[in-house]
Amino acid sequence: MIKIDHLTKRYSDTLAVDDLDFEVKPGVVTGFLGPNGSGKSTTMRIILGLDHATKGQATVNGTRYAELRDPLREVGALLDAKAVHPGRTARNHLRALAASNQIKKSRVDEVLDFVGISSVANKKVGTYSLGMSQRLGIAGALLGDPGILLFDEPVNGLDPEGIKWIREFFRALANEGRTVFVSSHLMSEMAVSADEIIVIGRGRFITSGSVDDLTKNAEGTVLARASDHGKLAALVVSHHGVVHDASDDGLTIGGLTSDQVGQLAFDAGLTVFELTPQRASLEEVFMDLTAGAVEYGSQKRDPAGG
Amino acid sequence: MASDSTLMASTRAEWIKFRTVRSSVMGVAVTVLLTIGLGVLITTLVRTHWDQLSPLRVATFDPVSSSLRGSLFAQFAVGVIGTLFITSEYTSGSIRTTLTAVPNRIRLIVSKCIVLFITTLILGEFVCFAAFLIGQRIYLGVVPTASIANGTVLRSVILAGLYLTLLALFAFALGLILRQSAAAISVFVSVLLIVPIIGFFFPQNWQNDFMRFEPSSLGVSMESPFAPSNTFGAWSATFVLLAYVVATLAIAFVLFQRRDAGSNQ
Repeated sequence: MIKIDHLTKRYSDTLAVDDLDFEVKPGVVTGFLGPNGSGKSTTMRIILGLDHATKGQATVNGTRYAELRDPLREVGALLDAKAVHPGRTARNHLRALAASNQIKKSRVDEVLDFVGISSVANKKVGTYSLGMSQRLGIAGALLGDPGILLFDEPVNGLDPEGIKWIREFFRALANEGRTVFVSSHLMSEMAVSADEIIVIGRGRFITSGSVDDLTKNAEGTVLARASDHGKLAALVVSHHGVVHDASDDGLTIGGLTSDQVGQLAFDAGLTVFELTPQRASLEEVFMDLTAGAVEYGSQKRDPAGG
Repeated sequence: MASDSTLMASTRAEWIKFRTVRSSVMGVAVTVLLTIGLGVLITTLVRTHWDQLSPLRVATFDPVSSSLRGSLFAQFAVGVIGTLFITSEYTSGSIRTTLTAVPNRIRLIVSKCIVLFITTLILGEFVCFAAFLIGQRIYLGVVPTASIANGTVLRSVILAGLYLTLLALFAFALGLILRQSAAAISVFVSVLLIVPIIGFFFPQNWQNDFMRFEPSSLGVSMESPFAPSNTFGAWSATFVLLAYVVATLAIAFVLFQRRDAGSNQ
């Protein structure tokens, strides 16, 4: 279990993490979601004792990481796949890691095999593609057979096959009862790979819950196509609804249910050709939640996107 | 506090890391080449020009330090070994992986120092003994030679090797403070080459006081059987240099303990 206890981190004049407080439980894949620059990596670095917290603390299994005796046996982490000396071979890199935590040498070949880079294990890491480096990073994280695993943006640089592989791999780790904590700035990725999601923006906690909970609570929209879009739009607005998007193809209406829109149209004598409730995608929920929490947002959101 | 077994483990890991990158292997090769190669070159030149030397040069000639001169060039190679042993962790970002495996920072630095000390001590002593013995063989029959059986001579050769070891640790400490290869190597070279030049502009009476504290003249004192005038004796010079190394390492460690290692800032 990972426990984040009122954690705050300030770098000179920027507040990277602002009073974060949550727990990551074993047995499920927990997604750590936020836009780029929202403090996910900083939080992970503090969990691993790489950066010092300004206030509060992070503990793993009740202990601060820096106090663990052989930390790789308890926590495996992949923060930055390229954080390896480029002139060293993958095997020697893992061998040194194994030696530092008194892990037996044979384990190096096991993890190399598992991630599928045995054939290039004697090549210098500098020659690796990002995908191969990611696999090496995963091998390093698994070396001590730890009960807690942290991955920072693990799908970056992986091909579709690798992404599929890593999702199944996270699932398998969680099913074994391990704590799996995975960060991403991609909601769509988290929607398929995580069970629980913690959303942060600008270093602050926004919300958490299961993927289903998050979308259930989110406001849906209604797509309506009727004989007079202008009239329908005016009706919607006068009944405290919102027209998000209007075109010849129809109106995207928020704030009202499909039943309410249907009734409005019927009462006004409009012919309705289509009336479709649209459940907010996780992506939209994320955009709504983190709007205003994006450090370098574009001026205007593309209405068709999102 | 780390137990002995974990210190042993992290030291073993640092040893694997030390020997599995080309920069250390190259640094060792260059140190051997410079100390022994330049030693052969210098002693051969002395032998061939011996009859042309002035009586004063002949009277003050020292077969020990002249055969060890190559080590004053090799000091730059051991400096690079020491610097890169830590700065390459920062330039590649591997310091984050290293600290995840060994989060106890004092244990990590002690392990690195142990590895660096042992390897450069073996290296330094090997090249200095080799350069001395080969040099005396070259002098034999023409130039007066020194015997390793003489206690003062033995001390000079041993301290010449130790000088290289201490400089490697000094360079390591600079690397830990500056965290950039180019910056650390520049400062290291400046201390050895530029500081004596600055001292040259001082008034004569200050010059002698200042210059003897300068690392490369400490090196000359350490490897000379008889201390040159206005310098420290061999043992005093060793302790002054050791004090520099300990002080620089202490500053480096305090900074290392305090700094964040995760971000590239």
